[in-house]
Amino acid sequence: MLLQLNNIFKWVQQGGQRVFLLKDINLQVEEGEFISVMGPSGSGKSTLLNVIGMLDDFDEGEYEFLDEPVHQLKEKHRANLYKQYIGFVFQAYHLIDELTVYENLEMPLLYKKHSGSERKAMVADMLDRFNIVGKKDLFPTQLSGGQQQLVGVARALISKPKLILADEPTGNLNSAQGEEIMTLFKALNDEGVTIIQVTHSEKNAEYGKRIVNLLDGRMV
Amino acid sequence: MLTNHLKLSLRNLWKNRMLSTLNLLGLSIGIGSVLTLIFSVYAYYTADSNLEGQEHIYYLKTTGTDGLSFVDNVFPLLDEIVKSSPDVIAGTHVHGWGNMWLKKGDLELQERTDYVDNDFFKVFTLPLKYGDPETALNKKYSIILTDRVSQKIFGTKNPVGETLIADDSLHVTVTGVFEPISPYSTFRLGVILPNELLRDNPTFMANSGWYNSFTPSYLRLRPNTDISQFNQLVYGLVQKNYPDPSTVASIKAMPHADMRMDAIPVVKTIIHGSIAVACFVLLIVLVNLLNLNTSTMFRRIKDIAVRKILGGSKKSVIFQFCLENGILVFLSILISGVLFLAFLLPGINEAYGADFGKISFNVTKDYPVVLYAFGLGILVTLVVGILPTLRFISVPVSTGIKGKIEAVKSNFLLKNSFIILQFSIAILFICVAIILNSQIDYMKEAPLGFEREHIVVGKIDLDYRDADAAVSNFEALLNRLQADPYVESISTSDVVPSDYPFRYSPFYDANTKRDVRMRRAFTDDGYLETLKIPIVTGRDFDETIDNAADNPVIINRTAMEALGWNTIEGKRLKYKDDPSSGFPVVGVMEDFHYQNMQYAVEPLVHFYQDKENLVAHRFLSVRIMPGHEKSVEELIASEFENMNSRRTYSQEVLTDMVGAQYRLIDGILKTVNIVALLTIFISCLGMFGLISFMAKRRVKEIGIRKVLGAGIFKIIVLLSKDYIVLVGIAALVAFPIAGYVMNTWLGSFAYSISIQWWMFALSGLIAFLITGFTLGLQAVKSALANPVKSLRTE
Ligand SMILES: Nc1ncnc2c1ncn2[C@@H]1O[C@H](COP(=O)(O)OP(=O)(O)OP(=O)(O)O)[C@@H](O)[C@H]1O
Ligand SMILES: [Mg+2]
Repeated sequence: MLLQLNNIFKWVQQGGQRVFLLKDINLQVEEGEFISVMGPSGSGKSTLLNVIGMLDDFDEGEYEFLDEPVHQLKEKHRANLYKQYIGFVFQAYHLIDELTVYENLEMPLLYKKHSGSERKAMVADMLDRFNIVGKKDLFPTQLSGGQQQLVGVARALISKPKLILADEPTGNLNSAQGEEIMTLFKALNDEGVTIIQVTHSEKNAEYGKRIVNLLDGRMV
Repeated sequence: MLTNHLKLSLRNLWKNRMLSTLNLLGLSIGIGSVLTLIFSVYAYYTADSNLEGQEHIYYLKTTGTDGLSFVDNVFPLLDEIVKSSPDVIAGTHVHGWGNMWLKKGDLELQERTDYVDNDFFKVFTLPLKYGDPETALNKKYSIILTDRVSQKIFGTKNPVGETLIADDSLHVTVTGVFEPISPYSTFRLGVILPNELLRDNPTFMANSGWYNSFTPSYLRLRPNTDISQFNQLVYGLVQKNYPDPSTVASIKAMPHADMRMDAIPVVKTIIHGSIAVACFVLLIVLVNLLNLNTSTMFRRIKDIAVRKILGGSKKSVIFQFCLENGILVFLSILISGVLFLAFLLPGINEAYGADFGKISFNVTKDYPVVLYAFGLGILVTLVVGILPTLRFISVPVSTGIKGKIEAVKSNFLLKNSFIILQFSIAILFICVAIILNSQIDYMKEAPLGFEREHIVVGKIDLDYRDADAAVSNFEALLNRLQADPYVESISTSDVVPSDYPFRYSPFYDANTKRDVRMRRAFTDDGYLETLKIPIVTGRDFDETIDNAADNPVIINRTAMEALGWNTIEGKRLKYKDDPSSGFPVVGVMEDFHYQNMQYAVEPLVHFYQDKENLVAHRFLSVRIMPGHEKSVEELIASEFENMNSRRTYSQEVLTDMVGAQYRLIDGILKTVNIVALLTIFISCLGMFGLISFMAKRRVKEIGIRKVLGAGIFKIIVLLSKDYIVLVGIAALVAFPIAGYVMNTWLGSFAYSISIQWWMFALSGLIAFLITGFTLGLQAVKSALANPVKSLRTE
């Protein structure tokens, strides 16, 4: 068992009323799963992903990640947990514009204890694997959307996470580029990486082994 | 890690190069001026640091019953105090008695000469470069030189043991050379000699009794002395020994450290003003950086979130930001250092050097200033690096990643209060500059009670080698001048307006029972005519009637009023309990401003001196018909240049001499002007950065508005109206403060303008115009941008 959500509620106060963003979410994720989260816009997909990624708090319920009770952990401990085990891929890539491809890939490693040569090897490995060696000295703005997302995925993978959280990773890409990313995810999953992705596309959802449907913050 | 941070910092700075340049510019100029101010304040406060235990050194300050106070005492008082008080460790006089001419070989020069007691070094632990302070004053014919004088005479060699000839008669031996003394020090020394030497001087012996106040007296007291008790003892000695102790209201031991401010009150204004200005400029620079940083922060919310997700800690984000700012700050400290050495230090030396001496920067001695600058840099970096990040760093990553600015708590008020603060300070300085300008103009232009134009003043106190020959030459010159058709009138005197020495005599009128302390001067019978000072009643001096031996006097209107007289018929000026018949008052002249307008016109008395009495006078003033100055000036100059004298002749027009009285305050004005410009400039830099950032943030909005048909003017208004309102608020904050500060300052001038509403209006207008221009530049640029292009960037 990689993670387990039990009766998760999340709400915000609006005009003195509770507006529920997540309602009674129960979800178990085994290692090696590939889950697609679907649902109409505003149904709480991103919110759910953020909660799983520990970027966001929830108000009620229990969350265990690798047998650690996330709801009881201190902020710092929680941050260590997601830094170590989770990689994020965003719809808008969120690469750092001031850094080259190489430096963007290197950055997560800088926050961990890796020697210089180790880092070099790991980045070179990633560049090689994603076939972007030739682009390593370019800045994100000099790349196409597909290439940027490739770098985004590579960056998420570089610290060897157990879980990849991807919020509409193909949202900004054309279908060919999208397919490339999806094939990549499939391959990663086959290697044992757990993936949870949010998507609007039935076709992309097909790549997953399981589909979670959300409606108004509730799993249906 | 560090190289990565550094790389990123440089790229960030480069990416926002316009903002970076603005920052760098504002910072360099700001820090440069703060550095300059700190340095002069530092130089001021450390000038006396070579005095050990300065807190135990005191000088005697006497306050007369007329309310005036002075540091000069009668000579015997100090010895009496030393004899009778157990609290005194040592005491010394430091006083002049004519400056000596010193001769070594062909070189002859005159320097400030002070006479001191043997215990001088026990009171003042001034270090000697050469010689031994224990013995340097033991022998009667010894002289101690300041480093400056020693270099003039002996160059770099050690002159101890060398002999100098003083005033052509005395052989004195150099027994010591002082270490260089800061020009800001309380000490204004040239050479010092033991007081022993004056005991051979009959005029000194005759005039150094209990009557004549001429010497400052210094004491080193025991650490736990009860000062009020000590003052009582001194007062007791005054009561016992002074011929007329009733003129002394109090006599007090004052801390030596206060003496400088006491001597030149404007020093206090300058020093405190400098500190305040340094703080203000620093504040503006800080606020500016904070503003600009805060605005760039909005753009970085996303970056911060991404970094946090990828494993960066808050600390590393803050570090990154500090590093970026640190690069800017230290780069500008470097630049400002260059500015300081190349322009600002020479600048203050030019503005204040003539009054306080020129200061110079010497790394081995003044390294603390470098350390201050360094510390200041770190402080600034931390404040501007950390403060803006704090508000953004705690934005939850899930919201930060969306890059929504609204995610940051609405702190628009906070940001705006910074702008208001900044512009308030800028407007405050503009106000101060305008008001000070008007005050100086007023002082320079105001009617002075005499006509200053077309008068050339020759300085004739030249120390003639052959006095008799000089007098006959001088008489010949006077005759030629009198015959010159272009000369309207001639006067010799020991004073001219702008140069009335601080000499006072206490007079008393037994009938009206008034004590009046009068400023004393000597003039001939042409003085009032030459300066066109009207007679109120009585007559002017007249060489055919008056005789200098009878001491006829003319007093001014203020003196007459102070004495309570309605008429001068049969009046004589007398000292209290003076058995002689006193000085006959022959006339009353109208009040005129013989000193600068910071000071009031006091009771003044002119004693008569013959025109021909060359040695009694210091000035030859000649009123010349306009247009013919040159020939007359040349005539006088050539005559004096032919006389054999130690000093060289020089002349000046009276207008310049009068104007030069305001040199110091002109210097202050110049500084204030520069600071005012600087603050408004830096503030505008900040505002420029902010609005360009705002415009960038609102490109989309502007684009949409334009597509929807908004005119360019509308857009300009949209972008700038907030800022105009802010400047308006700033002006409202600044005006009362400026009014209060300047009212207080103007109060220290004897004659001052009253503050007018237009001065505030003008400063507000200036601020508005400059801001408007800055805003306009950017707003127009954004308004003119092609909307389609800007929309496409989304
Ligand atoms: N901080 C918040 N305060 C109030 N409402 C919020 C907040 N965050 C999210 N919401 C609301 O919660 C709901 C779910 O948002 P979420 O971003 O999870 O939707 P989503 O399913 O990802 O939609 P999309 O497919 O458009 O990305 C939306 O209605 C949104 O308006
Ligand atoms: Mg979403």
